[in-house]
Amino acid sequence: MPAVLGFEGSANKIGVGVVRDGAVLANPRRTYVTPPGTGFLPGDTARHHRAVILDLLQEALTEAGLTSQDIDCIAYTKGIAGRLTIEEHTWSLARSEWPAALCYHHYTTTPAPPFTSLTFPSLVFPSVCRILTPISIPLGPGMGAPLVSVAVVARTVAQLWNKPLLGVNHCIGHIEMGRLITGATSPTVLYVSGGNTQVIAYSEHRYRIFGETIDIAVGNCLDRFARVLKISNDPSPGYNIEQMAKRGKKLVELPYTVKGMDVSFSGILSFIEDVAQRMLATGECTPEDLCFSLQETVFAMLVEITERAMAHCGSQEALIVGGVGCNLRLQEMMETMCQERGARLFATDERFCIDNGAMIAQAGWEMFRAGHRTPLSDSGITQRYRTDEVEVTWRD
Amino acid sequence: MEAADAAAGGEAGGADNARDGQGGQEGQEGQGGGLGRRGHGHGLGGADAEAAVAGEAPRVPRPPHAPGPGGDALSTAGRPETRVHIFALGVPFPSQLEAEIARASFAPYREPYGCLVEQQLTVFGSVLAIRWRAENPFLLRISIINFLDQLCVVIRTMQRFRFPVPAKPALAKGG
Repeated sequence: MPAVLGFEGSANKIGVGVVRDGAVLANPRRTYVTPPGTGFLPGDTARHHRAVILDLLQEALTEAGLTSQDIDCIAYTKGIAGRLTIEEHTWSLARSEWPAALCYHHYTTTPAPPFTSLTFPSLVFPSVCRILTPISIPLGPGMGAPLVSVAVVARTVAQLWNKPLLGVNHCIGHIEMGRLITGATSPTVLYVSGGNTQVIAYSEHRYRIFGETIDIAVGNCLDRFARVLKISNDPSPGYNIEQMAKRGKKLVELPYTVKGMDVSFSGILSFIEDVAQRMLATGECTPEDLCFSLQETVFAMLVEITERAMAHCGSQEALIVGGVGCNLRLQEMMETMCQERGARLFATDERFCIDNGAMIAQAGWEMFRAGHRTPLSDSGITQRYRTDEVEVTWRD
Repeated sequence: MEAADAAAGGEAGGADNARDGQGGQEGQEGQGGGLGRRGHGHGLGGADAEAAVAGEAPRVPRPPHAPGPGGDALSTAGRPETRVHIFALGVPFPSQLEAEIARASFAPYREPYGCLVEQQLTVFGSVLAIRWRAENPFLLRISIINFLDQLCVVIRTMQRFRFPVPAKPALAKGG
């Protein structure tokens, strides 16, 4: 009955969790909240994490009723997913041994029909692969400093207590916690957070990325829009946007950008940042209307690409993970789509949707039982740790 | 914490700036008479002081990048000096084991500007010795500050969750 201690601190949430045999024994967390209109910077976030991590560690052990000797393994976030350039993305698809169908890309230039009446084209395209104009796209959000601050503590306690160390992929942590809490067996996963937006399905010992954002994450889009309206960051900008959206009445037409299996949010953000002040000043709409419109647009995009992936895989389960997965409107839209397909939707609450230490501990528990270990010399963090880089040896 | 001797220049603690080191040595040698003159023209030297006393405008040496009488700055600009900044630090720990733990906690850390800042960690007895080498003093300063922040967390972790558990000996078969 191994007990695993997990450290998570890749963004503005820092958590330390303890998991043993599928039971979450402790999961305390702290959030670094910045003033309205501002975001969180790596240096300040790292400083926050360093100030609270040892108290959190003590709190986790106390809540779990364990001592250091009861812990069998120390897990920590080794890295988060980064986004690839178009060339790397195409090559990654080819290398991942998916059918050639996934090499098909098309650009949607007209607004897509509502997802409820989506006509799903056949995906069997042998060797049809459009080589896209090379466009360099920035990598992930890059919270290296917070990752390092947490990893250093994990390495230190692993040596102090003479326990093995395990570096965990942040996305895998979300997926494994989602599977544990919901009981989903082999779902199509929609991973949506401030730093990542991916549609993932499991095949042959890898979590394969079907589609993803080609620029910013959906949570990043929402958070940066919140700054435009000076919406409070407490408890989180996304939560406050959700509450405001419930009071919205008017749908403002925004760019809808789905590109095959991928999505793009930077154009939507630029557009809404540009028109928000003008429309609010002229009284064309209210801030609540803008929140409502943004949610409806981006969530519809996510539902579309998830449905496309489910159709390709023949999947009857959908699982939403990541901080944006807490959004009840997103869950409602996904539920509608799943019902129409005769599928089941799985989602967790804010305890496990939002970044937390227990998810790292759970993924670490699976990896530990499968024999994974991370030598100290390989325990550096990385800001470019793709979800499909991990060999998932703990699943058939 | 004690600052170990910097490798270049042999001065105890602090950054070793090649220019200041040379200037200091030349100043001590006392070039010129009177008030003496620093090797790189910092402040007024003897001849300039005499000129100022005599009511004349002090002669200010022409900066290397300024255009000469021909008006071509490039022709008069010299190649910028490449200076290497080195900083060394020694952190004593209660035991060699803890110094090794601290070293191993930092060992996998990759400098964001790895090609511009070199960092070496070594354990001598119970002292963790860290040595930085960089041409850019700004990046050097950032690297040192970041390291000290992380070191503080490591030390606090050791103090709070201390007493390393020694590795258990392997059990003999049948035992």
